[in-house]
Amino acid sequence: MNSTNHGAAAGEHRAISALIPWYVNGSIGEQERQRVDAHLLGCAQCRDELALERRVYQGMNAETTVEYMPAASLKRLQARLDGIESAAPAAAAAPGSGKPGRRSLQWQGLMAASVAVMAVALSVLAADRWMHFHGAGSAQPEYHTVTNAAARAPDEVIRAVFSPAVTLVELQAILDEAGLRIISGPTEAGVYSLAATSRRPVNASLALLRANARVRFAESTQPGMRPGDSP
Amino acid sequence: MTVAAKNSAREHDSELLVAVAAGNRQALEELYLGYHRRLARFLSRFTPRYENVEEIINDTFLAVWQSAKDFRHASQVSTWIIGIAYRTALKSLRRQKHHTAAGSLDDYPEQTVDPTSETEVQDWLRHGLNQLPVEQRLTLELAYHMGHSLEEIAAITECPVGTVKARMFHAREKLRHYLPNLSGAAHDSPARSE
Repeated sequence: MNSTNHGAAAGEHRAISALIPWYVNGSIGEQERQRVDAHLLGCAQCRDELALERRVYQGMNAETTVEYMPAASLKRLQARLDGIESAAPAAAAAPGSGKPGRRSLQWQGLMAASVAVMAVALSVLAADRWMHFHGAGSAQPEYHTVTNAAARAPDEVIRAVFSPAVTLVELQAILDEAGLRIISGPTEAGVYSLAATSRRPVNASLALLRANARVRFAESTQPGMRPGDSP
Repeated sequence: MTVAAKNSAREHDSELLVAVAAGNRQALEELYLGYHRRLARFLSRFTPRYENVEEIINDTFLAVWQSAKDFRHASQVSTWIIGIAYRTALKSLRRQKHHTAAGSLDDYPEQTVDPTSETEVQDWLRHGLNQLPVEQRLTLELAYHMGHSLEEIAAITECPVGTVKARMFHAREKLRHYLPNLSGAAHDSPARSE
């Protein structure tokens, strides 16, 4: 092999090596994919690189991710937009009539849910106050709004508020330990609705949550359990 | 997603952005709901605190609201929105790095793990990723976590394709240094060097 051929082969090797990440994620074009396939047959180094990149790709996609419900975040964006528009009334004077779009019904549902979110936020505050005075033997709490103000999902067993400093990893660990999963939230008040992932009694899950310093508030929404009942 | 479904989604995004440019808040909210999950999952890989993730997403859509009228539809709406999120995240991450000299490793406390398990591999991978410069990390995440093509990443990051390739090359080189045993011997127990 002369030096020209050798140089061309080295150039092709570098070009193929650079394409490996997109070969791994499947976004590479058909023509380039065939080029990579042909090169891999005769290049052990690129095959090793491919194996490494596949491990990295799998590792980066294997971690569990907490899913967020966007309603509360969207409300905060709306509030910012409202603030901007009220500060510049001229700009707000020409709102688009706009078509409602395919998911307008979904949006209307979201607005209704947002109203419910506010009710839950207020009810959680009421619950917090009720818990504060519970030891002093206060009268029947007005807490029932926690379970009644917002539509309760059929599988919801607990509502909880976590420390703002909790990380995703910590949150997932807390939920795993308590045998719970998030079905919605966080609301504007930071409230998560939780469902059970095991047959563990709700009381036991509740006790684990309440024992954790990262949990600010946890209450059962199960019918028949009184608010503040000690598990 | 089929090609037809992708094209339909692109057209719908494009229609929504035209409505946003005309001042339609409902269209903005529909776009927000359509992109929130994808962006939240992407961003939460860099900054585990939801308030930071939310701040970046909301800053992004505030920019979408204010700049939609300037969008010429020469590229995909998704590329444009993710590009805004990329630049917003870049600024935020640089600011965070400036404030926390130790980087984001503090957000991922060391864990006691079974050295023979996949968890160990992921622990090492997370450690390696956290050592990468922000641009290299974002390039790798856009490719491996978001599944974007080379050309899409070039459009999102507003860089030439050659720059994207170079960032990816350096990211891979550094990861190889941090993860020496990952390719062929995933079940070997790599010794921590720090």
